[in-house]
Amino acid sequence: MASIEFVHVTKSFDKHVVIKDLNLKIEDGKFTVLVGPSGCGKTTLMRMIAGLDPQTSGSVLIGGKDVSRVAPGQRGVAMVFQNYAIYPTMSVRENIEFGLKNNKVPKEERTRLVESISATVGLQDYLDRKPATLSGGQRQRVALARAMVKKPSVFLMDEPLSNLDAKLRVQMRVELIEMHKKLGTTFVYVTHDQVEAMSMADTIVLMNQGQIQQEAPPETIYHLPSNLFAAQFIGVPPMNVGDLGEDGVKFGFRPENAVLSAEPGDNHFSVRGIIVTREMLGSETIYQVRSARHSFMVKCTEDLFTVDQEVCLGVKPDKMFFFGADGKRIERDDARFDGYMKALRGLSHE
Amino acid sequence: MNNKPVWEAVRPYVMILPAMGGIILFVIYPVIYLVKLSFYKYNLMNASKSKFIGLDNFKQIFSREDFFSALLNTVLYTVGVVVLTMILSLLIAVWLNRKSRFNAIVQAGIFTPHIISIVSIALVWMWLMEPSHGLLNFLLKAIGLPTSQWLQSSSTAMISVIIVSVWQSIGYYTLIIVAALQSIPPTIYEAAALDNASKFKVFYKITLPLISPQLFFILIIMTIGSFKVFDTVKIMTGGGPNNATTTLVYYIYEFRTNSIGYASATGVVLMAIIALLTFVYFRLLASKVHYQ
Amino acid sequence: MRYISELRPVERTLGFVLKAVVLAVFVFPFLWMVSTSLQTFQETLAFPPTWIPAAPQWINFAEAMSAGPFLTYARNSVTVTLSVIALQLIVMIPAAYAFAKYKFAGKKALFAMVLLAFMIPGQVTFIPVYLMLADWGIIDTLLPQIIPFMSSAFGIFLLRQYFMQIPQEIIESARLDNASEFAIIRKIMIPMSMPALATIALFSFVSHWNDYFWPLVMTDSAGVRPLTMGIAVLRETEGISNWHIIMAGNVVLVVPILLVYAIASKHIVKAFVYSGIK
Ligand SMILES: Nc1ncnc2c1ncn2[C@@H]1O[C@H](COP(=O)(O)OP(=O)(O)O)[C@@H](O)[C@H]1O
Ligand SMILES: [Mg+2]
Repeated sequence: MASIEFVHVTKSFDKHVVIKDLNLKIEDGKFTVLVGPSGCGKTTLMRMIAGLDPQTSGSVLIGGKDVSRVAPGQRGVAMVFQNYAIYPTMSVRENIEFGLKNNKVPKEERTRLVESISATVGLQDYLDRKPATLSGGQRQRVALARAMVKKPSVFLMDEPLSNLDAKLRVQMRVELIEMHKKLGTTFVYVTHDQVEAMSMADTIVLMNQGQIQQEAPPETIYHLPSNLFAAQFIGVPPMNVGDLGEDGVKFGFRPENAVLSAEPGDNHFSVRGIIVTREMLGSETIYQVRSARHSFMVKCTEDLFTVDQEVCLGVKPDKMFFFGADGKRIERDDARFDGYMKALRGLSHE
Repeated sequence: MNNKPVWEAVRPYVMILPAMGGIILFVIYPVIYLVKLSFYKYNLMNASKSKFIGLDNFKQIFSREDFFSALLNTVLYTVGVVVLTMILSLLIAVWLNRKSRFNAIVQAGIFTPHIISIVSIALVWMWLMEPSHGLLNFLLKAIGLPTSQWLQSSSTAMISVIIVSVWQSIGYYTLIIVAALQSIPPTIYEAAALDNASKFKVFYKITLPLISPQLFFILIIMTIGSFKVFDTVKIMTGGGPNNATTTLVYYIYEFRTNSIGYASATGVVLMAIIALLTFVYFRLLASKVHYQ
Repeated sequence: MRYISELRPVERTLGFVLKAVVLAVFVFPFLWMVSTSLQTFQETLAFPPTWIPAAPQWINFAEAMSAGPFLTYARNSVTVTLSVIALQLIVMIPAAYAFAKYKFAGKKALFAMVLLAFMIPGQVTFIPVYLMLADWGIIDTLLPQIIPFMSSAFGIFLLRQYFMQIPQEIIESARLDNASEFAIIRKIMIPMSMPALATIALFSFVSHWNDYFWPLVMTDSAGVRPLTMGIAVLRETEGISNWHIIMAGNVVLVVPILLVYAIASKHIVKAFVYSGIK
């Protein structure tokens, strides 16, 4: 078990700087999810922890110790790759054993470890099979077993579920959470899927273009996004955003926090609009409402309206966010907050 | 700890060292040595008595009739082999393109001569082409055609050697062309069929342009391969009769012990011709060939 | 395809017969070689020709083999061919791995040099190579037929292509499993590249077993000559018109290759197609 720390880390490929002066501490024993759009540098960050592609400058610490000059195989980390990277010419047993053999673990010990780990992940009947004869889910388990058997102090996973079908993905999510509870090891999990991040993480590290946007537990990120990017990345559909028309400030509210009604209510923010699309998802319905100046998504638990119907859209003041011209969220106790709230009132009923 | 990055930096070079060493020692250095030899009158008994004679060897080459005769023979041989092999293997490949068991057997059969030693091929064909007891003349007689002296007459020896070379290599080029043909996506043909294109037009307008990169490549290896022809000639005719089949490499071979300098200069000329051909082909390739 | 099904039965039969004839043109000479190798001298002179010998003359083979030190020739052929294959593999595997998986300065230029070597034939370099090996004093051994072929440009090229297709993640997994680069090559790259290695080995086998030019210019005595040279001189030692003996010797030379072809024709065909299209 170990914490991970990035201190002024910069990574560039040739001349192209991917990560610039990044500082981050990943806590010991936590399930940390790195999330962000494709190409934002998540894999790069993870590979620096593993030592597969060392940083250009700065240092990476594992368990408080600078590992910048330690070979990947000696950092005490295990990694599960998106494509599993199973050794195709070795049997399941040989795959799991490979790391132990390289670390000169004696034979009896090896056999014992392989037996117990394969039982944990449910592979005991497949030990002598070749990977080609296994299903996607089973290969995933081989990759997990191969990582677990080394008793690493850090577990790295790079989009490990993205090659599985939707149903298996949900099942594996639960199993990974349980596995983390049982092992109590530091997990670093990379995904571009915010749903996966929200459902699994103790801490989410949200990245964009090589920079950390927010580092917080899922609830915090959702309820108190630190900037426009975080607000729009987390949540489906993303947060509705509109121009306030003052200081370049934007206002925003989540689709489930708007109320639709046939007649105008007494909400702080209220606009008239036409329903342009309706997506019925079963337990909820998503409407797209177009007003004179904006287009908003609204998530309702009840399915009361039809396309082309005219409706009123209202949002309560405590559900409203403001973002400054720099994208940062403006806190409720900020001096300007009330002024913006008033300005919003002026936008109503257009 | 500190020398690990050093080792990691030199490791790739250490790993390619034997391979590069082999190439430098047995290809690159000999080429340089060859050029050097071409400027000398080399003394095999006592290398220190070798004499630098500048361009004399080259002057001699370009003033000797037997060199030009060897060059002409080589060009004739190359043109004959390349044209015949190209046409025949293209025809056979198109004909055998469809995937079927029998086609696969015929392809494997046509390919067989290519993996047999040229020594065996040459001997079998010498027996077939034997003027008085050989099978070819028997067949010609049987269907009422005039017989031939084949390898034993200076007027037919070259064409006989060409026939044997073509026979040996058709299968190989057929295979490559079939592989190229089968890599063309069938949807292209289906689209052409919907456009009601004639068979000939489909071949000329679609198939040929699509496989032209491979055809060009074949052309290069065929030409270079033909330019260095030796084995067939050495075994079947010994360059005869009357030097009718003396090719460039055979010419070099004959001078290799007594006039090393002269032979080396001829080797330089051969190398220059091959380099020039390769260069010209690649220039053409860059400008003419269609890519998918 | 549409037009195939439209062929009438007559056309189909005609096509079949035509293909059979073409096949015969390429296969018959070998059958004729075998038939001749079992005929008597009289039978080879007969008119019309003897298609099938009255009684197989196995003695022709004994006769051919006694014309020279054939046991030595055969041993030399086997030794040279197997040594070349082994040496090439040992040299090529680390080189292909470095070219496929490492970044290093000068990689492009060095690889271009490998390809350049591919274009320069032995027919150009044999004189200087001979002089150099004579200088080393090894002309009267088998080495001149082996070591000049230690770097197979074709093999390095093909194996590098194959290595490049192996996902980087597998190698990285192994590094995280604390495997040395040597262990990665031995336990992962080589097992995963068996088809390519077999293809390369077979290509080398066929090329070097059949080679005539190189031993011809590199050897000065019978003791180091291979089978091809032994067979090629049969006409001189056995008499120009003793075709039954010559063909018997020829059968001995051809059979090993045909056996290998029969067993591994798919690999061999692939090897040659690769060597052509790259
Ligand atoms: N080996 C590499 N060479 C050059 N650029 C790279 C390399 N690996 C990643 N990059 C670049 O770095 C950026 C971040 O990539 P990556 O970390 O893979 O993103 P993510 O995993 O978040 O999708 C991308 O712009 C990518 O093009
Ligand atoms: Mg990634």
